[in-house]
Amino acid sequence: GEALLPAPQSISILSTNMKHFLTWSPVIVQGATVRYSVEFQGEYEREHANGSWIPISECSLTAATVCNLTEDIAASVAYKLRVRAELGAARSPWGTTEGFFNRVTTSLTPPLLRVLADGYHLLVELADMGPAFQFRVLYWRKGQESRVQQKVTREVSSVVHLDTMEAGAEYCVKAQTHVEAINRSSSFSPTQCVRAQGDTSVWL
Amino acid sequence: GACRVSMSMTEIRAGFTAIKANIQSRDPIRTLSILSHPHSLHKVKSSDRCCITHHLFTFYVDKVFKHCRTEDSFVNRKISSIANSFLSARRKLGQCREQNNCVCGEESTEKFKQILANYEGLNVTSAAMKSLGELDILLDWMEKSR
Amino acid sequence: SGELYCSLPNPRNVHFESINMKNVLHWSAPEGTGDGVLYKVKYAVYGVGKWIRKPECRNINRTWCDLSSETSDYEEQYYASVKAFLNGSCSDWMETTRFNPLTDTKIDPPMVSVSSTDKSISIILTVPEKWKRSPEEESVSLLQVYPGLQYNVSVLNKKTKKRWFFSISNNTLVVPWLEPGTTYCVSAQIHVTTPLLDSSFSKEHCIATLKDK
Repeated sequence: GEALLPAPQSISILSTNMKHFLTWSPVIVQGATVRYSVEFQGEYEREHANGSWIPISECSLTAATVCNLTEDIAASVAYKLRVRAELGAARSPWGTTEGFFNRVTTSLTPPLLRVLADGYHLLVELADMGPAFQFRVLYWRKGQESRVQQKVTREVSSVVHLDTMEAGAEYCVKAQTHVEAINRSSSFSPTQCVRAQGDTSVWL
Repeated sequence: GACRVSMSMTEIRAGFTAIKANIQSRDPIRTLSILSHPHSLHKVKSSDRCCITHHLFTFYVDKVFKHCRTEDSFVNRKISSIANSFLSARRKLGQCREQNNCVCGEESTEKFKQILANYEGLNVTSAAMKSLGELDILLDWMEKSR
Repeated sequence: SGELYCSLPNPRNVHFESINMKNVLHWSAPEGTGDGVLYKVKYAVYGVGKWIRKPECRNINRTWCDLSSETSDYEEQYYASVKAFLNGSCSDWMETTRFNPLTDTKIDPPMVSVSSTDKSISIILTVPEKWKRSPEEESVSLLQVYPGLQYNVSVLNKKTKKRWFFSISNNTLVVPWLEPGTTYCVSAQIHVTTPLLDSSFSKEHCIATLKDK
């Protein structure tokens, strides 16, 4: 029965860039493959649905010790997660996360970007980070740091036009992500600078 | 002042779109609506919009979602996402009401009474499933009046 | 007339096909019935207590029926239903799923007009109009239906094969400082965030910048 299998230990949630994963230590039974099932409970279930738990089918009877929660942690409220081990008919007690998890605490990393100059045109290409992400791109002419301009875009994996540049001038760009759903932004990426074609014009 | 509540309409909309066909197919009654007849949400005065929205979020949290459990795990998970998003948004709307930015006029009170009457006119499971199937009526109205 | 004994197979795949809110009911003929099948159509505003027959689609042999006029209020939702008749027999009424014109329509790409100087191209985008009953009827732009509408514009330098993207909210875009005597091809898409509706990209409109004076 249940007593044979201990509850999974070291249960924790890793959350980066709005992707949330539950992990736990394996329950070792010599010569056998222990499987696990995961369930979640949002604030709604606790307060309005008699504390019910909802199974995550992709993580039911899984042999892995990690479960992707991203699709289910889809609101900015406090969630609880639990996992138990299963071997044949035997079930362990539930192991439950310490405290609650709210996605507002996800860690946000700066975006990956590539800055290009094409003639007099300043362009940027941003790596895709998922549907929740917008990008705030700041750009300025080198030496005119007080006149920073901004563009907010969701366009990813394609070359986005920022602005036109003055001949021969150097322009710098940096960007941060913004997640509207949790109203938070990442830190800025390192600055990248490129130079427009042509000579710097000299006023006589 | 106005009541500005940031909520992820895109996520709620995506969650509902994923289960819309499933949920609406469980509602066989074509000739009755909870939200849109006899009075349309689109006729609500702008001054009453915040109050009606708060009433409706409370209605869905307190009365609707809990009676929509299905045999389909995917559908249940999406309903949970929507319910938790509504809970989060209702809390913010509640804060608006506490700061008196969400005044309830006579029209919104009457409108909400009509919705409750429509709801109570059916058995609870049918009424809850019909209300959930009409979520896009609420979302369309909220987005239009943003 | 009283209902006949309905043993005819049912019309299949009864659904709305909607583009710019021109809402046309489509269906497939009942299985194995060959020619001679006739149909009649009815529709209902969701939440309103009656089904309404569509006279222009009574005893028709085609498998579509334009219900744009009957479903033009996009603050309402609708059902439609089709019944088949052949040699004195009939099918059941077969219904659509609930149709929401606002979220279930497809949007055409914007109209694109491009002009050029020696070093720049100017792009003007026009959003398609919502379907209307007659040319005389006042036009409603889909911009009024979807106020948060934006445009994604792609500009391809045919010489370097490099493609740039622009995300803009207003419908005009000037791209200055281009190479003279070079062909640029422009394509544009409409993007509505919520409800999530994206048109396809328009076909490419190519134009050459003037040669250097």
